[in-house]
Amino acid sequence: MSDTMTEQDNTARAPGWGQRLAALIKRPEIGSVGGAILVFVLFFVLAEPFRSLASFSTVLYQSAALGIPAVAVALLMIGGEFDLSAGVAVTTSSLAASMFAMQVAGNVWVGVGFALILSLAIGALNGYLLIKTGLHSFLVTLSTFLMLQGLNLAVTKLVTGNVATGDISTLSGFDSARAVFSSYFMIFGMSVSIIVFYWLAFVVIATWILLRTRIGNWIFAVGGQGESARAVGVPLNKVKIGLFMGVGFAAWFMGMHLLFDYVTVQSGEGVGNELLYIAQAVVGGCLLTGGYGSAIGAAIGGFIFGMTTQGIIYAGWDPQWFMFFVGVMLLLATVFNAWIRRQATRG
Amino acid sequence: MTYRSFNRWLAGAALALAAGLGLAGSAAADDDMTFALISHAVPGDTFWDIERKGAETAARQLGADLIYAHHPAAGQQATLVQNVINQGVDGIALTLSHPDAMRGVIAKADAAGIPVIGLNSGLNEWQSTKVFAYIGQDPVVAGAAFGDRLNTTDAKHVLCVNHEQGNVSLARRCEGIEDTFDGKVSTLYVNGQNMTSVRSRLLAKLQQDPSIDYVATLGAPYAMTAVRAIRMSGRPVSLTTFDLNSRVISAIERGKIRWAVDQQPFLQGYLAIESLWLKATNGNVIGGGQAVLTGPSFVTAENVDQIAAFAKRGTR
Amino acid sequence: MSEQAPLIRLSGVSKSFGPIDVLQNINLDVPAGEVACVLGDNGAGKSTLINIIAGLHQHSGGTFEVDGRAVHFDSPRQALDRGISAVYQHLALVPLLPVWRNFFLGSEIMRGRGVFARLDKARMKAITDDALRQMGIVIKDLEQPVGTLSGGQRQCVSIARAIHFGARLLILDEPTAALGVKQSGVVLKYIAKAARESGVGVVFITHNPHHAYMVGDSFAILARGEIEMHARREDLTVDDLIYRMAGGAELESLQHEMGR
Repeated sequence: MSDTMTEQDNTARAPGWGQRLAALIKRPEIGSVGGAILVFVLFFVLAEPFRSLASFSTVLYQSAALGIPAVAVALLMIGGEFDLSAGVAVTTSSLAASMFAMQVAGNVWVGVGFALILSLAIGALNGYLLIKTGLHSFLVTLSTFLMLQGLNLAVTKLVTGNVATGDISTLSGFDSARAVFSSYFMIFGMSVSIIVFYWLAFVVIATWILLRTRIGNWIFAVGGQGESARAVGVPLNKVKIGLFMGVGFAAWFMGMHLLFDYVTVQSGEGVGNELLYIAQAVVGGCLLTGGYGSAIGAAIGGFIFGMTTQGIIYAGWDPQWFMFFVGVMLLLATVFNAWIRRQATRG
Repeated sequence: MTYRSFNRWLAGAALALAAGLGLAGSAAADDDMTFALISHAVPGDTFWDIERKGAETAARQLGADLIYAHHPAAGQQATLVQNVINQGVDGIALTLSHPDAMRGVIAKADAAGIPVIGLNSGLNEWQSTKVFAYIGQDPVVAGAAFGDRLNTTDAKHVLCVNHEQGNVSLARRCEGIEDTFDGKVSTLYVNGQNMTSVRSRLLAKLQQDPSIDYVATLGAPYAMTAVRAIRMSGRPVSLTTFDLNSRVISAIERGKIRWAVDQQPFLQGYLAIESLWLKATNGNVIGGGQAVLTGPSFVTAENVDQIAAFAKRGTR
Repeated sequence: MSEQAPLIRLSGVSKSFGPIDVLQNINLDVPAGEVACVLGDNGAGKSTLINIIAGLHQHSGGTFEVDGRAVHFDSPRQALDRGISAVYQHLALVPLLPVWRNFFLGSEIMRGRGVFARLDKARMKAITDDALRQMGIVIKDLEQPVGTLSGGQRQCVSIARAIHFGARLLILDEPTAALGVKQSGVVLKYIAKAARESGVGVVFITHNPHHAYMVGDSFAILARGEIEMHARREDLTVDDLIYRMAGGAELESLQHEMGR
């Protein structure tokens, strides 16, 4: 008896390798790793240009462009909420930065700061409306999505007289802002966008927050069973508002990249991306009902999506069928992902 | 916020909105003629912004009012037309990108005695509807001219970048190139509402097929993204485009873009409203049963200087 | 009853929501180390009573004393600070969260400073393990989601958690309602142990007189917002309790009416 007790003590306090491995394959993202490997192998075999490093850097870029907001969206979904306004919020941020810099400040960094405040405020507003109205976040953020879409178009037209922002590349601070948000590095002879590194950094930070901090514990709890969390003193409202502001921050970051990489922004852009962010988070193991998921998973979900959209082109498949192939590949990756997850969590 | 104060807030917001709408409505309430321009534009499309400016300029010069509304979906666009018929406008300028869906409302407008003019898209279909005239570019003619011009260069394989799969006019431009160009033509579809994907997919295509030596984008904003993608591919690929904006013009000046085919959207919007006015006030019919063509007109390094000034104003 | 003030004392407490009176003239004492059972049917006002004690609602009349001092709680946090902790039937734990994370939810132990402050996983797991073992529960893998535990184990985890975090008064809302016979036994044993050994006061809400009689020191039957009967264990048999709980005289007259 005493022997088994001490053995149990050991396993509870210092897990052995076997247990660590068992814990690893029970992680939420394990299925998406399988899906990513499947998609990678498939295109590696089928598409000869996919094998080159230059192609890989394009895949990484596309993954990061979708993946940065997806990381924040994943945290929000773990916290039990949706944000349908995330796609157009990216455009709102770049429009705001561009117009404020051009019309008011004359320096792009002031515009960047203005856009940050605006994006965080939009996130806070989403959270505030959610709490005050008690409606489902799907409805609340659908409303803000439509409002932002309208504001993007109307305010841009009002301020610039056009439906796209002007050229900000001549304003002061442009070069330093571009260096921060959209520079490129040569690594192993391939040109890699700086956002790939930001993406990885955000994933690491988000994972740290989720698994190693008090706030992470709270995020899981408010998404899993909000009332229980509130009953033990978790500040549910603050956590939810904070999560929406996190999405606001990611939207701002992506918006700044778009602005400084593409210089002008069309006010109608971004529509539809919100669903891709959610899809990536789900492919990466987030539950639609909240309380479960991972930031690494969302990143892998982004990688699957990036590989798929690029891989189809590298494979030279009939372009008329492009969207169909994307759908098929996503379905394939998701089904495989679910199957692996079932295998891993069985027993 | 309590329930009551929320209600009060809502009422205030509704009042403010009503005041705003009232302001917009009062302009249409006087004795001026009112014309409507209903397009299939997606929100935020720069091309349609210029088209609208043309229509507004004409309306202003004529002392008339202009209602502009747009929706990319056929059903919604038809509803918009029905709305302006109900408002009793004096003429409707309508794009025929979904000609069959518009037939019904065009007949209703005709029955109500409201003249309808087609513009921009629907070159092959307008004569079978009850629109009295058509102003636009023939996308096949424009594409064919594009192909002819390509034949004067050393182009062997051109990639046509379509930013809106399913759009008939855009597809016809690519087909027009195919008709006349002696080399090979491939098509790439991209999502026009997501610039990062436009660049990534184009870059992927350039990496995938090394024989591509010319790229033709079908809209001005996508041309600028293509400039970047081509530079990133590190390959000597020449870029050409349909449609214009101020950045495309400066890219032509800097030699980044070989040429742009302009269908002169300002002219389309302007002429459509002028023609409606002439029809309504003087019974004039433009075109003599034939389409009035506003393009193609080529903008190249040779003539770009003259156009640059107008483009800065946002009217070319 | 000892001379020192009971942990909590409700005197003439009432609660109304607008024009509707939910509770009227409630008197209830819970001394340390005792289990006070509150029995009643659905809609009798049990939940409102719990919510007042736990700080979710404020009472509209009467006095509510903790350690002899009148209180008005604005939030559960204030009740918690006074050592009053409610364990709800369904809402106690977050099913998808691992056992140890649930145990420390809202009171996490950290190590490091500033941006490097992080959860002290090893310590929290060890403490969770100890706290559960003290109550006779051994959970092999504390990383397993709480949702995978049995119903009885889940209740015990939430009770152990409340005691560990300094609860002096536990409010247990139907802890055995969803459980089978064996699982109920585990929980009841645990409730008795908590009161006798840890000296906490327990407000045990149930509609099962058998369960109540097994662990209770005093019994209050709540009906239509009023306390219909209040008795100490020594003045009552289990059959009395069942009879009174089933509606007592009312039931008798019903039987009479139906002619049986």
